[in-house]
Parts: sequence; C-alpha cells; structure tokens
Amino acid sequence: MTRRLRLLFAGAAALAATVAPAHAARMPKKIGYVTNYATHEWYQNVIKGMKARAAQLGIVLEVRDANLDVNREVSATEDFMAEGVDVLIVTPVNEGIVPLVRRAKEEGIPLLLEGSPVKRMTAMVATCDYDTGYLAGIEAGHYTKSHLDGTARVMNVGLPLLSATVLRAHGFMDGLRAVVPGATLVNDIDGGGNPDTALAASAAALARNADINIIYGINDSSAQGGLQAWKASGRSQNNLLVVGTGGEGLGFIHAMNTEPAYRIEAAMFPEKEGFTAIDAAVRLFNKESVPQQIVSPSAAIVGADGWKKYYSVAGNVRTIKWDAVNRLTPPAKCMKITGGF
Amino acid sequence: MSDILQPATGTRVSPRLGANCPGVLLVLLAVLCLAISINSSRFYAIENITGILRQCALVLIIGSGMTLLLITAEVDLSVGASLAFAGVIAMDATNQTGSVWLGAPAGILFGGLVGLANGIIVTRFKVTSLIATIATMMILQGGVFLYSRQAIQNGSQLPAFSTISTGYFGPLPMPVLIAAIIFACTYVVLRHTLFGRYVYAVGANPYAARLSGLNPERLKLIVFVVTGLLTGLSGLILASLMNAGQPTAGHGFELTVIAAVILGGTSLKGGRGTLLGTLLGVLILQVINNGIIILGWDQELQLVVPGFVIVLAAYLDIVRRRDNVR
Repeated sequence: MTRRLRLLFAGAAALAATVAPAHAARMPKKIGYVTNYATHEWYQNVIKGMKARAAQLGIVLEVRDANLDVNREVSATEDFMAEGVDVLIVTPVNEGIVPLVRRAKEEGIPLLLEGSPVKRMTAMVATCDYDTGYLAGIEAGHYTKSHLDGTARVMNVGLPLLSATVLRAHGFMDGLRAVVPGATLVNDIDGGGNPDTALAASAAALARNADINIIYGINDSSAQGGLQAWKASGRSQNNLLVVGTGGEGLGFIHAMNTEPAYRIEAAMFPEKEGFTAIDAAVRLFNKESVPQQIVSPSAAIVGADGWKKYYSVAGNVRTIKWDAVNRLTPPAKCMKITGGF
Repeated sequence: MSDILQPATGTRVSPRLGANCPGVLLVLLAVLCLAISINSSRFYAIENITGILRQCALVLIIGSGMTLLLITAEVDLSVGASLAFAGVIAMDATNQTGSVWLGAPAGILFGGLVGLANGIIVTRFKVTSLIATIATMMILQGGVFLYSRQAIQNGSQLPAFSTISTGYFGPLPMPVLIAAIIFACTYVVLRHTLFGRYVYAVGANPYAARLSGLNPERLKLIVFVVTGLLTGLSGLILASLMNAGQPTAGHGFELTVIAAVILGGTSLKGGRGTLLGTLLGVLILQVINNGIIILGWDQELQLVVPGFVIVLAAYLDIVRRRDNVR
C-alpha cells in the first residue's frame, strides 16, 4: 500500500513537474498591440479589457497607437517585430498592413487582428457587425409596433467608408424589416463617425425629410449627433426612437438615462473584445487551431435601465459586469461578414 | 499710407471680375440658393434655413476673429483643437461647479489663454504663426486627451447649458443671435475705429506702421487673444449643442474657418479683407454643405466642392491684387 502510494505520489509529482513548466512556457511573455485610434473611447475600453486579461495571465502587454495612419501602424508593428514580441495584435487602419501580415507569417510571428479583417489574415477577433445591427433592428421593430404606431422611417447616420459600419446599418434595417416589413430607410447620411460632423449632416438631412421617426447611429457618437440635431431643430422626442451602436463609453449610458428617445443600444462590449483578443493571442502562440473569425458577443440593450445589467457607473468610470457579459453566447459564425472573407 | 489705411478695398467698383469681392460672392450665393431650391423645395423650409444659420454661427464667430488675424498677416491653425478643448473645459467646469455662469466663462477664458499663448509665441519668440499654431494645435489635440480620455457628459443636466445652443430669442436661434452680435461688434471695430485701421495698417506694412508710431506686436497679440476668446465661445456653443464636451470634435474646423475667410476676399498676405466678405464666405460654404445633403449627393463632395471654390477665391485674390497694382 505504502509502495503504491509512493508510486502514486511520485507519478503525480512527475506529472506536475511536466505540466507546470509546460503551462508557463505556453504563456507568451510579451504581446504587442497596435491600435488604430487609441484616443477613441471604444479602443480605450478594448485596451482596458486586454490589460485586465493580460494581468490575469501574467503577460506583459505593450500598446502603441497608429492614430489612423497606416504608415505609423506599419512602423509600430515592425518595431514590435524587431523587439521580438511573442504575439502581435493589430487593429488594421486599412488593407495597407497586408504585406506585414504576410511578413509575420514568413517569420513565424503569430499575428491576430482585432476589429476588421484584411486579406491573408490568420485570425481576427471581432463582434459580428451585421448581427449586432440585426439584433438591435429586431428590438427596434418591437418598439415601433408598441410605441410608434407600426411606422418606421429611418435616418441612418452612417460611415460609408468603413465596410463594418455599413454592415451594421444593413443588419439594423434587415432586423427592423423582419418585424416591420414596411420600414423605410429615408436618409442614409455620412456622419463621419464624429459627433459634430454627425450633428451637422443630420441637421440638413432632417430638414430634407421631416417625417423621420427612427435615428440609427453606426456608433454612439453618430446616434448622439443625430439626436442633438433633432433637439436643436426644436422637435419633441415623443414619437422618436434613437438607436446607438457600440456601447463605447459613458455617452450611451448618459443618453439612455436622460434622453426619452434613446431607448436601444446595440452593445458590442469593447472590454470583452479586448479580453477575448488576449485569449485568442495565447491560442495562436500555442499554435492551436482557431477559426478565422473569433466572435466576441454583442447584445441589444433595451430601455432606460437596460445598461445596468452589464455595467455599473461610479463618477466618470464605468465598470463592466463580467459575469453578465460572459454569460452572453456569441454566435459560432456571423450571419454576414465583409465581402471577400 | 492712405492706401494702407483704406480698409474698404472690397467695395471698390471695378469692371474686372473679382475686383468687387462681396458683389461677386453675393451673386454666387444667390445662384447657389436658386439652383438648390429649384431642385429641392425643402431648401427654403424654415427648419433648414435655421439649421444653416446655426451651423454658420459657429464658423462666423471664429471667422470674425480669424478675419482680423489674417488682415494682420497672421493665421491661427489651432482653432479647431482649441474649440474642442474649450468645450470640454466648459462642460467639465459646469459639472464641477453646478453653474453655467462659472462653466461658460471657464471655456471662453481657456480659448483666450490659448490665443494669448499663440500671440506670445508669435510676437515675442518670433515664431511664424503658421508653425506656432500648428504646434499649439498638436499640443491641444494631445492635451485634451490627457485632460479627459472620454467625452464629458452634461452630468448636472442644467437646462441653461442646453439653452445656449438650442434656445431662441424671438425667431432667432441663440447661436445665431450670439454670432450676429459678435459680427456686428467686430464689424464696427474694424470699419469705424482707429483700432480697425491699425489692424489694416499693421497687416499691409508692419514697418511703415511701426514708423508711424504703432506697436504691431502688441496689436497682433490683442488680435490673437480676441480670436482665442471667440474660439472659446464657439467651443462652448458646440459643447452645448452636443450636450457634452467632446475631445474628438473640431477636427478640420480650422480649415473650414480659414476657407470661409479667404473665400470672403481676405488676403493671406495681410492688409486686405472685409467682414462682410467673411460672412458671405461662411454662408456660401454652409449652403454648399447643406445643398449636397438636401440634394442627396455624395457627401464626399462636401470636401471636393469647397476645395474648388477656394482655388477660385485664391485666383480672384490674385486678380484683385493685379488690378490694384495697375
């Protein structure tokens, strides 16, 4: 018995000795992340999620900002490669990083994309843009039936230069039409993704078509710009629905709390996307097989207090409720993705 | 010297194209309005006119200061960045103090301080205003994110803060009223005061102005501060309009302002320009922007068309100068 126990302990010790170093060795020491626009609230929260997960796993995470400049993005990524980071994560500014994707493959450096796909990529972590819009569209359809007499005339405050944001808007309209077949896209404008541009463009668009009753924004700034243009024109919010997308920062929470028309948010949980990206980077580092798109969950938040399910706010700081967000099940595959992927 | 102290160059009658800048601009504006309204009856809707005027207000307020600055042969490229930062400061100060009466002046004062800094760098350190204000722009664009990583929301929900942009005085939206007052004051100062004549004199020939006993540096410093204060005021209105201090706002705003002022006939080389021209320049650019959306055209044209208009305006400026030389 004693001998057996001794053998058992010896075996367990040998296994532990094998597994523990292997586990430590499987964790990358340093991950380099090149974001495309670090000053945007969305990316700040992506980084927040990345840092939280990297700290849990004992990984050093270094972040550099391309500031929407692909040349800067390429040189920042090359710097990381020269420094010998174990894994690269890049949020592409545009297709200009394709040669880098090829080079990383040739040099055997795992490279994960965040947010947008490019050709020849190995893997990408992103929410499903179309699905996110679709889910919000379904909720908007129900709201239209219950609050807007079943009539939906939509102004999309969009960003046509980005395929991801175009997909969101398409998803929203398709979701809305699934519930309200007669829903019409009355105005499709370029709000530039910025609140002031969105406001200026929306003001003219509202004058062009006075009978709009739903404002859809491809991000929170666009939705809020559209809403502020509506308010500036002196209209009541009584028969209006505003739908934002992203859940980027505090803006949508504030709007849901204070604006009667801002009732639906297509939340994309940037913190969760950052968290998922680090996990995916570890899997790539370990040469595990990963799907080309690793989906980060999204959900439609409905009603003035809907956000409280996923976030808490203290002063100017919002904190994600990981339990609630982790309970969300992302789809295995997106309903629609950017052309060519 | 009499030529230097002649501010009304834009109103001189000449048969040559471009010699009468406000006249040409007025015709251009009328043609634009007519063309757009023929294709869309919504153009003349009260709501649309109000929207155009509200958008014009922000540009015109800063444009009034920029006109003075360009006449003195200086420029301020930091106004877009300062606009965003001033809005953030105004919103934050309003939230912190719970008072618009303290928050609003904080934003305006911030703009004034930026103007003062620009003025000191240009007049004391002798850095050209183009370089100095590009540097300030970069400092402000980065600095605003050091100040706040996120948009500052109207947490206190004070109705007075929203009234600054969405309120009305009779039929006039509040920003339009504010812009009208600023425009009128600047117009009077430039056209009917000694200070206005000094502005032209310093811009036309600073050496001659100095020999005449003027202090060009001090005058330019004042104009920088005025432009800064007006930028702060515009930032406050923009923050009120968006119900938040948005660090990402104001990108490219400086180009819109400068384009409008140049289109209005103010020379980049200084000594020449009128506020009436600036007003018309602002109106033309905003009508073009509005018309592109009202007509449902591709919005990329909002960059392309004003670009062509500015080339045309620059050419007209050359024609005017050539006429004056003759």
